[in-house]
Amino acid sequence: MEIILKTRDLDFNDIIRYKDLEISKKKITFITGESGSGKSTLLKLINGTLSPSKGEIYYNGISILNIDSIELRKEIILVSQKVFLFSGTIKDNFRQFYEYRNLECPSDERMIQFLEICQIPFSLDKDCSLMSGGERQRIYIAIFLSFEPKILMLDEPTSALDNMNSINVIENITHFCKHREIAVIIISHDNTLVERYAEEHIVLKKEV
Amino acid sequence: MNNIIQLNLIQFSLIYLLLLLVLFIMKKSKINQTRLLVLASLRMTIQLVLAGFVLTYIFRNPHPIFTTIYIIAMVAFAIQRVLSKNRGLNTKFKIGIAISIGISGILILSYFVMIIVGESLLNPQYTIPLAGMIIGNSMTGVTLAIKTFMESIDTQRDKIDSLLNLGVTPRKILIPYVNNALETALLPTMNSMLGMGIISLPGMMTGQILSGTLPSVAILYQISIMIAICTSVCLTTFLSLSIGYKSLYNKRSQINIFL
Repeated sequence: MEIILKTRDLDFNDIIRYKDLEISKKKITFITGESGSGKSTLLKLINGTLSPSKGEIYYNGISILNIDSIELRKEIILVSQKVFLFSGTIKDNFRQFYEYRNLECPSDERMIQFLEICQIPFSLDKDCSLMSGGERQRIYIAIFLSFEPKILMLDEPTSALDNMNSINVIENITHFCKHREIAVIIISHDNTLVERYAEEHIVLKKEV
Repeated sequence: MNNIIQLNLIQFSLIYLLLLLVLFIMKKSKINQTRLLVLASLRMTIQLVLAGFVLTYIFRNPHPIFTTIYIIAMVAFAIQRVLSKNRGLNTKFKIGIAISIGISGILILSYFVMIIVGESLLNPQYTIPLAGMIIGNSMTGVTLAIKTFMESIDTQRDKIDSLLNLGVTPRKILIPYVNNALETALLPTMNSMLGMGIISLPGMMTGQILSGTLPSVAILYQISIMIAICTSVCLTTFLSLSIGYKSLYNKRSQINIFL
């Protein structure tokens, strides 16, 4: 089993101490744990938007300190639980996010493909500001997923969705990522999802 | 043209009666700022009386060192005002603002006094009033720009975090806020240029005309000072923001907005 990510003696500001973790390539890993156990912080440490006060993280065997942070974040994309969409239509949103990455906007077919994965049956011209929290969350995930990273990290991706929608979205995302050999790390409180989709399961505890 | 009529002190003090009208309207409209009005009027009076004494002394005993000290004090005061209006900036940002105000102010002032007027920079009669206008307006512009910049990035944390998580460079994320803040700082100056001469006769020109200068000369000064102010506001703000936004992220491309 190939390891794509591992952590050693990780510690954040002496508040959170992590046990050593290993994340396998091409696998669906769920992270659960009580609040304050540092789940979201762990994902931010992995994509380098936060720095650990001690310890190291290795991506493909290389310490992330030796990898350009921007390149790292292009390969390990974090979908935060705080959804942000630009004002305008779904298509405008794809266009703006791609523009920030200096990439050409994907074709309509491709956008629709990713929206379908995330259970969004709307036209590309629908205005996002009129949508519900759950719909906005799914569009946000669809856009991030469309960048097809090496690792996709989802922080509470179903927090604004009902049970049925949660299962469908996670089913589609995991299916797509398995097919494209994208490793997925999901933080979730939903036991049904963990039981159904976790190939690996990491439980974080407050270790002080 | 006649020389200006000296104000008689008793006649002059009648001007304060107008404040009673302000007080009356404020009381009627339940605006609870009587203390501020009194304090502001009092502070203005004391500050200007002091400035009057100091300037009279400097003009009677012109010495390069006095002009220099006066300008340095102005710049220092401007820097202190901008920083006190924008708390929570990191040290590099603060230093950037200080350097920008100092450099742009002195540069534009020198150009104006030495090249346009053709006087020595150490001549207090020209340098001190012009410095006041140039540095004062730059101070207002920078304060507005930094406030706009910091507030807009603070309220858009989710956007900034989302773009960082997607692998966008901090530079690309922050530059739109820099440009927007610069525009905000420049608009008032440009708008006042638009209305000048029609809606208002500007302060410096009014002053010169009152003291007997021909309007044809006064307008040349006014045009020059407006362009100098516009340039100084633009340059100071641009430099402050250019140094400042870079202080908000580190080599690991992590953005830390507040201390």
